[in-house]
Amino acid sequence: MELELENIGKQFGGLSALKDVSIAFEKGRITALIGPNGAGKTTLFDIVSGFLRPDTGRVIYKDEDITAVTAHRLARKGIGRLFQDVRIFSNMSVLENVTVAQRHQPGENPLWALLRPRRVNRLERANQAAARELLQLVGIDDKEHLWGEQLSFGQQKLLAIARLLANESSVLLLDEPTAGVNPHMVDVLLKTIRMLANDGKTVVIIEHNLSVILKLCDWVFLLDDGEVTAFGTAKEVLEDRALQEAYLGV
Amino acid sequence: MNYVLHIAILITLYIILGQSLNLLVGFTGLLSLAHAAFFGLGAYVSTLLMIRADWPFLAATGGGCLVAMTLSLVVAVPSLRLRGDFFVLATLGFQMIIFSVFNNWTEVTRGPYGIAGIPKPKVFGLTAHTLPQFVILACLIVILVLVVHWRLTSTPYGRTLKAIRDQETAARALGKNVLWFKTSVFMIAGGVAAIAGALYAGYVTYIDPTSFTLDESIFILTIVIVGGAGNLRGPVIGAFVLVLLPEALRFLHVPDTVAPNLRQIIYGILLITMMRFRPSGLAGQYAFD
Repeated sequence: MELELENIGKQFGGLSALKDVSIAFEKGRITALIGPNGAGKTTLFDIVSGFLRPDTGRVIYKDEDITAVTAHRLARKGIGRLFQDVRIFSNMSVLENVTVAQRHQPGENPLWALLRPRRVNRLERANQAAARELLQLVGIDDKEHLWGEQLSFGQQKLLAIARLLANESSVLLLDEPTAGVNPHMVDVLLKTIRMLANDGKTVVIIEHNLSVILKLCDWVFLLDDGEVTAFGTAKEVLEDRALQEAYLGV
Repeated sequence: MNYVLHIAILITLYIILGQSLNLLVGFTGLLSLAHAAFFGLGAYVSTLLMIRADWPFLAATGGGCLVAMTLSLVVAVPSLRLRGDFFVLATLGFQMIIFSVFNNWTEVTRGPYGIAGIPKPKVFGLTAHTLPQFVILACLIVILVLVVHWRLTSTPYGRTLKAIRDQETAARALGKNVLWFKTSVFMIAGGVAAIAGALYAGYVTYIDPTSFTLDESIFILTIVIVGGAGNLRGPVIGAFVLVLLPEALRFLHVPDTVAPNLRQIIYGILLITMMRFRPSGLAGQYAFD
């Protein structure tokens, strides 16, 4: 397994956000976490991406215990995250948003920036070219000179995905990638996400939209009140009428 | 003519100070109230090195720079872990401490009496005796500072600073070591402010603690906010406007007893007006909030 959570528990004050959750995610597969608000889905993402530390349990990634590793180191190991509120860099150009995420940037050291200008400039041109290709891949390459905040919400999500790819993430934690996005843009997003999974990325998404889950996801975990209460293929989990009524209110 | 040259030198000093503070405020989103402390550290340390240890001007400037950078590191490590407003308060505390040291460590700084007889800067065998010579020296240093800032802000280093400013959490999620970037930029800004301090000491040949108060820190911040943060143009324009504006009072024949107060009032009004109607400043790219 690419990514495994073992007996994860997390408390906030007196409230148990997660109770003994064990889940495994496979490479090349799209796994959905579903469940009502407050079930602990985003908390789980916070733990996997290193923004929160669990009280109990371990997170194993490529056979390594990463439970106590800080967020920026996890990102360098390949765990990427799309935030629910996207968090693009609003006062930077679309191209800069992607270029900043690239891995190989010795120019991030101020001494290099000052003393090795030619080397830094050359790498910068290569990085920009690579960033343009990623923008093309997600279909917003005609917007590279706009500022981040000038994009529509859906385009911002595509930009954030391009940013994750520039960061060479191999695990993509996508928190509600289609929420607030117009229907046409949803199709573009889903196609992009499917393509990434086929490329061998491990995709985990938090999603409320049932048709998206049925169309896109290979495997589903249902979380309720901090516990995994059901799992299976999307069809199996969603067609369980009792579950639908209890947790999804449909 | 001397009057014009004097104004020119003031403008160059404030371009250096505004530009270095802009690295923090405009590019990294860190509001610091300690810039006058680093300015003062450059002035005092370089002066002492020249007077007590006979160091030449450039070496003494480098020494002031190093001390300021070391102290920035000492301030940065605990305070950069604080969020937003608490970081501002930590810099305010540092400003107060450094001012007290200048004012009370009399064996070294001569306290409120200040230090007189600071030698004129001598660079590569040439001494800046006259005003025009000093203007040339100041302009060379400003150009150097601007080139350094242009490189820092137009390379991946500056871009990552901007990313941290816009969305710190997202920057962390992309593998950026935020604490390292903030610490390094805080050190660079402190070091550059110290260069302005050495230049200032060499120009006025007399320094005392009153030049490096919290008021001065706020004045430098006003330059950045009025001129505009987040690009290189803003603080340059801010330095021109804020140095020249009060000078205009001279030509309006405002009595000397009123002028200093009036100046403070003008700065205040300017700051409030800009924050309200044009938060990104006259030529800025980023509105500090």
